[in-house]
Amino acid sequence: MIRLQNVCKNYGGSPALSNINLHIGLGEFAFLVGPSGAGKSTLMRLLYREEVPTSGNVLISGVNLNRLSKGQIPLLRRRLGIIFQDFKLLNSQTVFNNVAYVLRALGVDEREVNKRVSSALAVVGLEHKRDSYPTELSGGEQQRVGIARAIVNGPPVLLADEPTGNLDPATSLEIVQLLERISQRGTTVLISTHDQPIVNAMRRRVIALKGGELVADVDNGFYELEMA
Amino acid sequence: MLRSLRIFRRVCIETLLGLRASGWSNWLVVSILAVALTIFGGVLQMTMTLKNLVNAWGNQIQISAYLPDSADPKAVAHEISRFSEVKQVEIVTKDVAWNEMQHTFKVASVDNPLPNTLHIKLSSPDQVEVLAPKLRLMSSIESIRYPLKVAKKINDFRHFLELAGLFVTAALSAATLTVIGNTIHLVIKARHKEIEILSLMGVGPFYIKCPFVFQGAVYGAMAALLATAVLLGIHLYIDPYVKDQLFSLAPALTQNLEYSLVPTSLLMCALGVVVGAGGSLWTSGRYIKL
Repeated sequence: MIRLQNVCKNYGGSPALSNINLHIGLGEFAFLVGPSGAGKSTLMRLLYREEVPTSGNVLISGVNLNRLSKGQIPLLRRRLGIIFQDFKLLNSQTVFNNVAYVLRALGVDEREVNKRVSSALAVVGLEHKRDSYPTELSGGEQQRVGIARAIVNGPPVLLADEPTGNLDPATSLEIVQLLERISQRGTTVLISTHDQPIVNAMRRRVIALKGGELVADVDNGFYELEMA
Repeated sequence: MLRSLRIFRRVCIETLLGLRASGWSNWLVVSILAVALTIFGGVLQMTMTLKNLVNAWGNQIQISAYLPDSADPKAVAHEISRFSEVKQVEIVTKDVAWNEMQHTFKVASVDNPLPNTLHIKLSSPDQVEVLAPKLRLMSSIESIRYPLKVAKKINDFRHFLELAGLFVTAALSAATLTVIGNTIHLVIKARHKEIEILSLMGVGPFYIKCPFVFQGAVYGAMAALLATAVLLGIHLYIDPYVKDQLFSLAPALTQNLEYSLVPTSLLMCALGVVVGAGGSLWTSGRYIKL
């Protein structure tokens, strides 16, 4: 589903990623770990084509992202769900409208919007908060809205960039468990994080980056201190 | 098709939200653009009216040819009527002219000093300067006279107005582009979060940029409406006065003199929409990186 082949990314001569080779299969659940500056965010940005690699190939569902034209980038992103550390919710819109926002922009029929948003809110357990505004929700609930928005289009790949960065440990665990449940329905989930207790509690695949290099890739792994 | 309509509807809603978010700066943009368009429309109205005036004047233009006593007016008239530029030749014999003069001015009984005269009407006013040299070459004509200078001066003034109007409109349009650019830039800044979400969730640049372009186009259309109202006011209150003055000078010129406000309004609307939408397109292209 996600494949990186000899990927390098330099910023002004200094390497952010060096010779990364990686494969994440369909329905897999993986953590991308590493300290600040390890290259996690750069790798995530390559996956949603916010950046292009200096060399090497990035493939999603067999599509080489290097070869995408500008007009094809939106089509790629519709097949990805992206979750952010700062939630990126519109405070002037209700929970329902936040989740429906992109569907409406894509011209989806209002009945279909209703159906899909209700279903996404049911998955994240926020049906009862559909008419609330983000400012009336806790951090964990806001992140659930972000997740509902990411899955509402039924993407095969979910990319979560530090989704627990702004949450307390208990809520963080709930959010990661929610993402795991979504993964069990066949969605590939990649979570970038430096939250060691969460990674170690989940015991799933751990891909570790350090100084832009891939230093470990372990199934049922731990986030060990020496990785950082 | 239905999907496209739904997207268009959402773009319109986003445009309205953008207009609501811009608040008072909407009026700043619209008023500056309206001033530019009023000047453009006013100059256009004036130049077109002057053009009509010149044409009306041209239709009145006739060349008067004065003949020596030795020349036969009928023969000369026949000869002149063969020129393609000539529409009609009217003979005013020296006796008829003298009788009229005596009747009008009650002059003393002296020998008739007036020459036989031909009033030559032209097929087109532009032909005056073509025909005049030909007439001057004819030995059977002593002298000719025609009121070309006035028409030429009006035409020169019209050209000057056109140039000055174009220059002022261009300068004001450039100023308007800057104001539109700043306003749209502020809206883009205020909505950067929505733009980022839409872009990362796979919404295309058309949907993201279009509301800003539409907002600029709305500014242009509103400014054109305002400019039309101003010109209509001028038309209603000043035109009758100008017409009265002109009528006292030359009654025949006041017919078909007016140039309709409709084409001017349409042109102002087109220019306003182009400047508004163009300014927004440029700004959104510059500040929205997708």
